Amino acid sequence: MNHIKYKLELIWLSLIALSLFAYIMGQVEYFPKLFSILLLLGTLIKGQLIIDYFMGMKQVKLKYRLIPTLWLTIVIIVIAATYYKTN
Amino acid sequence: MTKQVSTKKLSHPPGDFSIWIVIYVELLTFGLLFMGYAFSRRSDVELFNASQLVLNQTSGFINTLILITSSYFIVKAVQSIKTMAKEHQAQANILASKWILSAMFLGLVFLVIKVWEFSNIFSMGITLSTNIYFMFYLMLTMFHFMHVMLGLIILFNIRQKMRLDGYSLEDHIGLETGASYWHLVDLLWIVLFPLVYILR
Repeated sequence: MNHIKYKLELIWLSLIALSLFAYIMGQVEYFPKLFSILLLLGTLIKGQLIIDYFMGMKQVKLKYRLIPTLWLTIVIIVIAATYYKTN
Repeated sequence: MTKQVSTKKLSHPPGDFSIWIVIYVELLTFGLLFMGYAFSRRSDVELFNASQLVLNQTSGFINTLILITSSYFIVKAVQSIKTMAKEHQAQANILASKWILSAMFLGLVFLVIKVWEFSNIFSMGITLSTNIYFMFYLMLTMFHFMHVMLGLIILFNIRQKMRLDGYSLEDHIGLETGASYWHLVDLLWIVLFPLVYILR
């Protein structure tokens, strides 16, 4: 019950933690390829948390949930691919 | 029986379906701009990395925390109506109104920080035509800025209705519509911030 009660707070804290993680990575002068992957992975997780729990798409039929999920996944993969080829 | 009800998926996303058409179109538009930024970077990586150093990552990070938290407040407002309005409609509207007001305050702080950031950028003589990085930076962030402003107008109208105890358990579609739009604004920034401010 408590788990359900504080689920939203846990999601909020996860989003804050992932954003802090991204910010700290940005402060480091040396930015290896691994950082780019981790940063984009963190962005993917954050985006999906917002789609599922803030937008409430977790409770909605899959076809509607798939649209923002696919959008996020495609955008992140394309960004990752362009950075992978240039770095 | 209880388990069946709790696992049943809703047939439509929260709020008026027309807002979801808007949301899907906005996602497509911003998605193309994000990918356009990433492809353009390939032509001059050094320029993008050097230009990115001009930006204040801390203000971008603070704005990320602000939008995430304001989105959380909006969810709390919707929850207040859904869980309390059946028995205590007036109290539910008062509580939800406070959450909305808090979210609006954070939205305003976001705008103030962005204006400060824009003024710093402009004071350095940087404009849309300085280089391709700043063209994308200004275009993406100003476009997003306008979405935050529209979101605030929507939240203001929702709060006005709340002051009249306008939302009930049966009728809160307007609240969910505005909430969905605000979460879109948050989602877009979640991708925009690392892409433009951090990733190099």
